[in-house]
Amino acid sequence: MSNSTAAVGRRAFLARLGLLGAAVGVGGLLPRSALAPPAAAAQNDVLPGLVDLLRPVLAELARDTLNGLSVFALPGPDPYSAAQGTPSDTPGAMEAGTTDFLIDALDNFVPFPDQLAKPIGAALATGLADTGIELPGTELLPAELGTLDKALRALLESDATLPLSFPIAGMLNLLATQVNPLAVNGAFLSPFARLSYAEKARAFQLLEGPDSDLVALLDVRFPEPLKNSVSGLLKFVGGALIEFASFGSYTEYAVFDARNKQLTARPVGWELTGYQPDGPVEGWDEFIGYYQGRTEVRD
Amino acid sequence: MRDVIIIGAGGGGPVVAKELAAQGLDVLVLEAGPRHAKPREQWTSFENDANNPLSGYFRLGPTDRSEPAWFREWSQNSFVWQLSGVGGTTQHFYGNYPRAYPGVFNDYDKADRNEYDVNHRFPFSYAEMVPYFEWVEATAPVMTAAMGTKEAVFFRGCETLGLPVQTTKTTLAPSYRPQENAILQPGGNAGRTSDRNLLNYPDATGCTFCGYCFQGCMRPVGAPRNQFAKRSTDNSYVPMALTADVWAPAGRPVDLLTDAYVTRIHTERRAGALTATGVTWRDNASGEERREDAKVVVMAGGCTENPRLWFNSGLPNPNDWVGRGYTDHFFDWVIGSFDEYTGNPKGVGSSARLDFPPYGGLENVGLPPALNAFSTTLSDSGIRGQYGNGRGPTGPWDGPAGRVMGPELKELVAGGLDRLLSVLVITDDDVEPDNRVVTSALPADENGPIPKVTFQHRARTARTTRNREFMARKAAELLRGAGAKKVFRIDWAPLILHVQSSMRMGESERDSVLDSGAEARAVRGLFIADNSALANSLGGPNPTLTTQALATRTAEKIFERYFGGDPWVRGGSPVVSTDPRISARLGELGL
Repeated sequence: MSNSTAAVGRRAFLARLGLLGAAVGVGGLLPRSALAPPAAAAQNDVLPGLVDLLRPVLAELARDTLNGLSVFALPGPDPYSAAQGTPSDTPGAMEAGTTDFLIDALDNFVPFPDQLAKPIGAALATGLADTGIELPGTELLPAELGTLDKALRALLESDATLPLSFPIAGMLNLLATQVNPLAVNGAFLSPFARLSYAEKARAFQLLEGPDSDLVALLDVRFPEPLKNSVSGLLKFVGGALIEFASFGSYTEYAVFDARNKQLTARPVGWELTGYQPDGPVEGWDEFIGYYQGRTEVRD
Repeated sequence: MRDVIIIGAGGGGPVVAKELAAQGLDVLVLEAGPRHAKPREQWTSFENDANNPLSGYFRLGPTDRSEPAWFREWSQNSFVWQLSGVGGTTQHFYGNYPRAYPGVFNDYDKADRNEYDVNHRFPFSYAEMVPYFEWVEATAPVMTAAMGTKEAVFFRGCETLGLPVQTTKTTLAPSYRPQENAILQPGGNAGRTSDRNLLNYPDATGCTFCGYCFQGCMRPVGAPRNQFAKRSTDNSYVPMALTADVWAPAGRPVDLLTDAYVTRIHTERRAGALTATGVTWRDNASGEERREDAKVVVMAGGCTENPRLWFNSGLPNPNDWVGRGYTDHFFDWVIGSFDEYTGNPKGVGSSARLDFPPYGGLENVGLPPALNAFSTTLSDSGIRGQYGNGRGPTGPWDGPAGRVMGPELKELVAGGLDRLLSVLVITDDDVEPDNRVVTSALPADENGPIPKVTFQHRARTARTTRNREFMARKAAELLRGAGAKKVFRIDWAPLILHVQSSMRMGESERDSVLDSGAEARAVRGLFIADNSALANSLGGPNPTLTTQALATRTAEKIFERYFGGDPWVRGGSPVVSTDPRISARLGELGL
């Protein structure tokens, strides 16, 4: 592969992850000047600063991506739901705090071994994913791209724990751009968040399917027997993201005061389902007797 | 040197502990997770606070909820619902105590005998098990369940299927009935009012129909721990084990240590036989390791953890069956939408069932909103209307099976949760060697290499697959008969929640880990006393009663084989776990 082909593939990959757009696209979070290639001698001094600038970009990209996932689980009266073509008048996941629920779980509680998260992060850092798809979008000078790329690699290879929300978001965005290459540009930071509901479903179809390209792509980076484990884990993650986002959307998460173990407002999920109209109970007047009057059986 | 060390205080371990404590043995119980001794301070009844598998108070992890849960590898879209803590998974169960079908025992000779998992039967007769069923039924105690509306709706559906009502403890043929459950039935104001001021013990006794079984039972308010309605072992057997001196003439209370993660079983060769000698455990908080010796060691950490501990202890596995033959009732989920009130999710999680030997069974289930959402989105058939993931079976339900999620779920629940009724499809599934626990290649945790649970869910045996399809159709027909306007089949991905037989006892030493006394074939003095010891999936009935009956029998075997004692079940009469002497002593102990 020639250097120029690699650069094109790399640019495409960063665009598909959502990073290119989130960092320097329209509405991007990183000043373009930060990517000005430093003089070779100064590179070691500049890079750490750029890594620090990049960290919140990744966090925002992850949040935006998970917004797209949350409304997939429970649409509401928000722009993300409108963008996926399922607007709703009643509260949804954005009101239920589902994105925070997911980020909190992924970054703080999923007991995912760091030894595994890092190689997955590294796979995202080094993947080329040269699909031959023409990707319209941000024009970056090769040198600027190189700086961004170096900063991403430095961040992913640093000793700091990688928030799991980033590789999850990266995965969803890769799938999103496989489903619809045009999703590399548009409203929001995340390609996944730009998809229609049907396109999001198609992304999960790719993830859950037995011959997921993404699984194959990431597996390449692991030796056996880990390779098989990662492949299985990604299939698990595919299901779990939907199930966990749906569960979270209907819980009390957003309005639970953990210190006092009480609710500060009525949960969205309760409102939508009519659950416990007067709040938590000690019991219900629901006992209507014994079937056929029988209170005991014996052989 | 203890007489007996029991690893795990879930559904099975406390049974052996209580029985041997009553015989005066020196018993130590080690529980890896928390002890919820003050549920009114430690619990709520909220779904995320309770049931979030990562951070809820019912999770697989240490007491300190700021610490991560314990990671387990599942190499497929699935959910293995493990809980640590005193009570184990009985903390969130529904208290259903049906007996195993007679067809899964080795003396069964009815016309349909070859329709069961005949290669993996119990190595003794149903008749031999009956006294142990009766003993546990009297101890828990087990009663005929009261009805709420969701039971009445379910029965209305059952009445259209041409089946009789079962009025015996033993299931003899396809039939339906109220659950026989380990729930104290409603007394006083319980079930008759929603006014919390009237629901304090003893004005209310037994089940108040709160609908919070899955979030833990701590009602009625003010009741002694052993008078809470649901007989999870933290409310039944554990209180008995801790107070054995007041209710058993020669009783000796057990010692219970929590946050004590057993990492190794020790053995040595004695008279030519490999023999268990004790255990090492690690304190979750301090990381300190401790070791104690015992004449007998009992494993009761569950179907996933027992194989792990076996492998990590380097114990022999001569026939390669440790961890194999894991059964899970290959659940499915069918949900009906009604134009009328269904009573969902009030009352005990499930108080009605339909048994259909030799296929499996059905239960009605009430769920609060988030668990309902989880249940409609756990699928192996993609998303309804979008993709089928290579499956999406059709039948007497509406459209293809698959996830009901997003806008469709929002619309489904908009009529109110109490217009829905769900049916759990329970499959009589075969013991299969490739459904198993192995040691994961992923990094070890602080307690050693972790387990990996593998289910070949798309390649189950023809009988298992047939049974599941048969029961899913029955569920849909039942809901239609009850008046459902819409019926959805989810085609669940494996929800591994009824767990059985991963360390199975069996007739043949070629495909079982345990002999007919639940003692390991390869290690003397090492017994197993939880669901993993079961020979098979029981034909479909919920496993707790059979596990506890078997654990009672195992306690006798231990007493006979290692302490020169006599069995007590056939000639004795059990003390009920609600006995006021237990309540009084719990009060003295501040429990």
